[in-house]
Amino acid sequence: MQGLEMPTASMVTLAIVQALLMLALAPLATGFSRVIRAKMHSRRGPGVLQDYRDIFKLLRRQEISPINSGTIFTVTPYILIVTMLLVGMALPAVTNESPFPIAGDIITDIYLFAIFRFFFSLSGLDSGSMFAGIGASRELTLGVLVEPILMLSIVIMALIAGTTDLGFISKHMATETWSAPMATLMAGAACAFAVFIEMGKLPFDSAEAEQELQEGPVTEYAGAGLALMKIGLGLKQLVVAQLFLALFIPFGKAADFTLPHVLMGFVVLFIKLFIVFLIAGLVENSVARTRFLKTHHLTWSGFGVAVLGFAFYLTGL
Amino acid sequence: MTALSVSILLYIAGALASLALNKAENTAIKLSGILGALGGVAGLFASVPTLLNGTTVVKQIYSPFYFADFMIRLDPLAAFMVMVISVLVVAASIYSISYMEEYKGKGAWAMGFFMNTFIASMVALVVSDNAFYFIVFFEMMSLASYFLVIAEQDKKAVDAGLQYFLIAHAGSVLILIAFYMMYRATGSMNFASFETLRDTAHALPVWESSVIFLLAFFGFGAKAGMIALHGWLPKAHPAAPSNGSALMSGVMVKIGVFGIIKVGIVFLGAQVLWWGFVVLAFGCVSSVLGVLYALAEHDIKRLLAYHTVENVGIILMGVGVGMIGMTTGHPVIAALGLLGGLYHLLNHAVFKGLLFLGAGSIIFRTHTKDMEKMGGLAKVMPYTALAFLIGTMAISALPPLNGFVSEWFIYQSLLSLSHGSSMAVQVGGPVAIIMLAITGALACMCFVKVFGVSFCGAPRTENAANAKEVPAPMVMGAWILAILCVVLGLGSPWIAPVISSVATSVISMDTVNVVQGAALIPADGTRAILSTPIIIIALSALILVPVLLVSVFRGPALKRRTKRDLPWACGYGYEGRMTVSAGGFTQALRSMFAPLYTLRKILDPAPAMNAVLTATTNAARKTEPVFDDYIIMPVSRLIIRLADKIKVMQHGDFRIYCLYMVIALLVLLFVPVEFGGM
Repeated sequence: MQGLEMPTASMVTLAIVQALLMLALAPLATGFSRVIRAKMHSRRGPGVLQDYRDIFKLLRRQEISPINSGTIFTVTPYILIVTMLLVGMALPAVTNESPFPIAGDIITDIYLFAIFRFFFSLSGLDSGSMFAGIGASRELTLGVLVEPILMLSIVIMALIAGTTDLGFISKHMATETWSAPMATLMAGAACAFAVFIEMGKLPFDSAEAEQELQEGPVTEYAGAGLALMKIGLGLKQLVVAQLFLALFIPFGKAADFTLPHVLMGFVVLFIKLFIVFLIAGLVENSVARTRFLKTHHLTWSGFGVAVLGFAFYLTGL
Repeated sequence: MTALSVSILLYIAGALASLALNKAENTAIKLSGILGALGGVAGLFASVPTLLNGTTVVKQIYSPFYFADFMIRLDPLAAFMVMVISVLVVAASIYSISYMEEYKGKGAWAMGFFMNTFIASMVALVVSDNAFYFIVFFEMMSLASYFLVIAEQDKKAVDAGLQYFLIAHAGSVLILIAFYMMYRATGSMNFASFETLRDTAHALPVWESSVIFLLAFFGFGAKAGMIALHGWLPKAHPAAPSNGSALMSGVMVKIGVFGIIKVGIVFLGAQVLWWGFVVLAFGCVSSVLGVLYALAEHDIKRLLAYHTVENVGIILMGVGVGMIGMTTGHPVIAALGLLGGLYHLLNHAVFKGLLFLGAGSIIFRTHTKDMEKMGGLAKVMPYTALAFLIGTMAISALPPLNGFVSEWFIYQSLLSLSHGSSMAVQVGGPVAIIMLAITGALACMCFVKVFGVSFCGAPRTENAANAKEVPAPMVMGAWILAILCVVLGLGSPWIAPVISSVATSVISMDTVNVVQGAALIPADGTRAILSTPIIIIALSALILVPVLLVSVFRGPALKRRTKRDLPWACGYGYEGRMTVSAGGFTQALRSMFAPLYTLRKILDPAPAMNAVLTATTNAARKTEPVFDDYIIMPVSRLIIRLADKIKVMQHGDFRIYCLYMVIALLVLLFVPVEFGGM
C-alpha cells in the first residue's frame, strides 16, 4: 500500500467542491427531515425548500446579541461551519480515498467534532441565557456518553483495516473481502447509533422544538448569526451521516479521480444520503422523548453493542 | 555544562537576594523574579543544544562524602527535563514580579527564597547521576515546596501541607528502599552502575527487580499524584501561590514520571511484561477519574489540580506503552509510546502552567478561587482571557494545538500496540483508547465549564464586575506559555523528531521516523498522517466561506445590536441568578457517574493515614510521660544548659535559619562546582 501523502491540486479541488456542495445541501437535508416529520404527524407541513427560505430571510435580518454576551458568542457560528467544512473536505464521500487525507485521520476528525462541541456549548454559556446554559450542559453530557461508542466502533474498523486514515479504511472496506463480517456489522450498528445521536435527533434532542431547552445554545441567536448556526448544525448532520457511510457502506464510489466516475459517485452519494435521512427521520418520529437523566441507560446499551463487536473482532468472526 | 552551573547559581542568587532583602520586599520580589527568569534562560541554553545534538556529558565533581560520587550527567532525557523546567520557570518568574505583590507583608521574600530553592533543587535533581545526591535534592524539592504550600498560614493550608509532607515522605521512603536494593545489587550508588541491571548478564532475579520496580513506581507515583496516591495534590496545589502551583503542577509532578522512566526503563530495562501493564492501567484509571473529579469542583485551582492527576495519567499511558513495547521487542511501538508520553509531559507543563498563571491572575483581581463568584471576566481582562482560552483549548486536546499532537501520538501507539499477537495487548490497547477518548470528552466539558462560568456571560459579583486587566509582567508570563501552546502544536513536524530522539535514547535504539515533509506519521506512512500546519491553513482559509455567505446575502440589515437586550426568560423578568452555575452545569453528568464519585471516598488514603496518625499520636501521648520523666527531662535539662552556651548562634530570627539552609546548599552545590576541576 502506498503511503499517505500531501494532496495534489486536483484532489484539493475535489475536496473543496465536495465540502461546498455539502454546505449547499445542508438546508435541504434539514428541510427533508421536516417534511418527513410533518408527513408522520399527518400535517401538511412546510415544503422541502423551507429551510433555504428561512436562512435567506435570516441573513437579511439584524443581529442581536444579549447584553452580557462577548466575542465567543459572535465568532462561534463561523467556527462551527469552518470545522465541519474541514471534516467535509477530508471525507471519502465520492471517491474511495480521501481527497484531503491530511485532515482525514479518524482521530483528528473526532477531535474536530470536539472543537464544534466546545464552541457550540461555550456560546451557550456566553449568551447568559439559562436555557442556553442548560442546553450547553446537555450537549456536552451527550458528547461524553457518545464518545466511547463512536470511538470503539471506529477503533474496530481501524484495527481491521490496519490504519486510522478514513480513506484507507473506506477503500479497504470497499475493495477487499470483509475479514471480520460479524464484528463489522456490530461496529456498524453501534456507529449508526452514535451517529444518530450526533445528528441531534429524538429521543436525545429535538432541534425543531422551538421552545424550552431543546434549542439549546441556539436560543439567543438572531439574524445572520442564527442563519449560520442553522447551516452549521445541518452541515454537521450531513457530515456525520457521511462519516458513517464512508466507514460502513463504502460502495459505489469512484475508484479514481476522473470526472465521470466522480460524478457517478455524487449520484450514488445522494441516494445513500436520502436513505440515511429517511431512516433517521422515521426512527426519530416513532420514538418518545426520554428523561435526560436516563439517557445513559440507552447509550450504555449502545456501547454494549460496540463491545460485542470488539469481542467478535477478537475471536475473528 | 557551564550554562547549567550558571543557571543553578542564578537560582541560588535569586534565593539569597530574596532572603537578604527581607526588609525591602519590593526589591526582593523583583530580584528573585528577574534572577529566576535569567536562570531559566540559562537553563534553556544548557539544555537545547544537548537536545539537538543528542550528546551526553558526564562530569564528576568533588564530593565531601566518600560513599557518594557527585556525578552530573546531562543526557538527552535530563536535558529534556531541564528544558521543561526552564521554560516554565521563565514564565512563572516573570509572572511573579507583579503577582507576588499580593503577598507583600505575608512573607513574599520567604516565598521568593523557597521558590528559587525549589527550582534549583529540581534542576540539580534531574542531572544528578548518583542515588545519594538524587535523594538529597529530592528531599530539598519536597521541603521547599512544602513551605510554598503552607504560605497562606491558615488552617486549610497547614492541613494541606501536613498531608503533602506525609505522602511525599512515605513516597521517598519507598524510593530509598528501591535505591538501596539496587545499591546492594551493584555495589555502587552511581546511576551508571544501576544501568548495568538492564543487561541480561547482570539482571536481578525477576522477583527482586519486580519489587524494586513496584517500590519505585509507588514512591514516584505518590510524587506524580497518580490515582490512589493523589489525595495531597488537590489540597496542596491550590494552597500554594499561583506561580508556585504552576511549577508544582507543571514540573514537580513530572519528576515523579521522570523517576518511573528512570527506574523502570533506564535501570531495569522493562524486563517484565506486567510492569508496563501496571503503568498503563494506573495511567488509564488516573486519567478518567482525575477529570471526573475535576468536573465536580468549583474552586478553580482545585479543579486544575485534579486535571494534573488526569494528565499524569495520560503521560503514564504513553510510558506504559513504551515499556510494553520494549518488553515485547517492538522498539517502534516503544518509541511511539514514549514519544507521546514525553511530548505530553512537555505540553502539560506548558498549558497547565498557563492555566495556573491565568487562575492566579483571576484571583489577583477577584480575590476568590470560587468560580461561582467570577463571570464576565473576558470583557474586563481581555488579554488574560484569550491566553486562558488557548490554554483550555490545548488541554482539551483540540487540534491543531499542542495537547492534541501528543494525544494523537499516544492514540497511534496504542493502536499499534493493539495489533500485537497476545490477547493482553489486543484487549488492553483498545480499552486504553476508550479511556483516553472518555477523558478527552470529559476534559472538553470541564473546560467549557471553567471558561464559560468564569470568563463568559455576566459578572456574578461586584469584585468580578470591577476587575481590570492584570499588570504587564503577569500578562507576559501567561502569554509566553500561550504562544508556546501554539508553537508546540503547529511546529510539531519539527519538534516531534527532537523528542523522538530523546525517547529512542532512553530505550537505546535507532531513531524512528515520525515525520514526512510537514506532516507527522506514526513511523509508517500507511497508518496515519497528521499535519497541524496544514490544518490551521485550511481552517483559516475556510473562514472565507461563511464570511462570503454573510456578505453576499446580507442585504440592507442594520448593524448588530448589543448591550441592550436581556436573554429570553420565558416572558419573566431576567435575573443574573437564573444563569447556569458551575455545579448545575455538571449536575446531570455527576448523577450519571455517581458510582465513580463514591469510589473517591473509598480510594482516598487520607482518612486511613489520618487514623494511623491519630493512633500513633495517642500512643505516643500515653507513653510520653514515661520517657519524659526518665530520659527526656534529664536530657533536656542538659541541652538547656548546653544551649545557654551556644546561644550565640541562635537569634530566634527566621532569616538566620534560612541562611543555615543556604549554607548547607552552598556546601552541596557551590563548593563542588568551585573544586570541580580537581
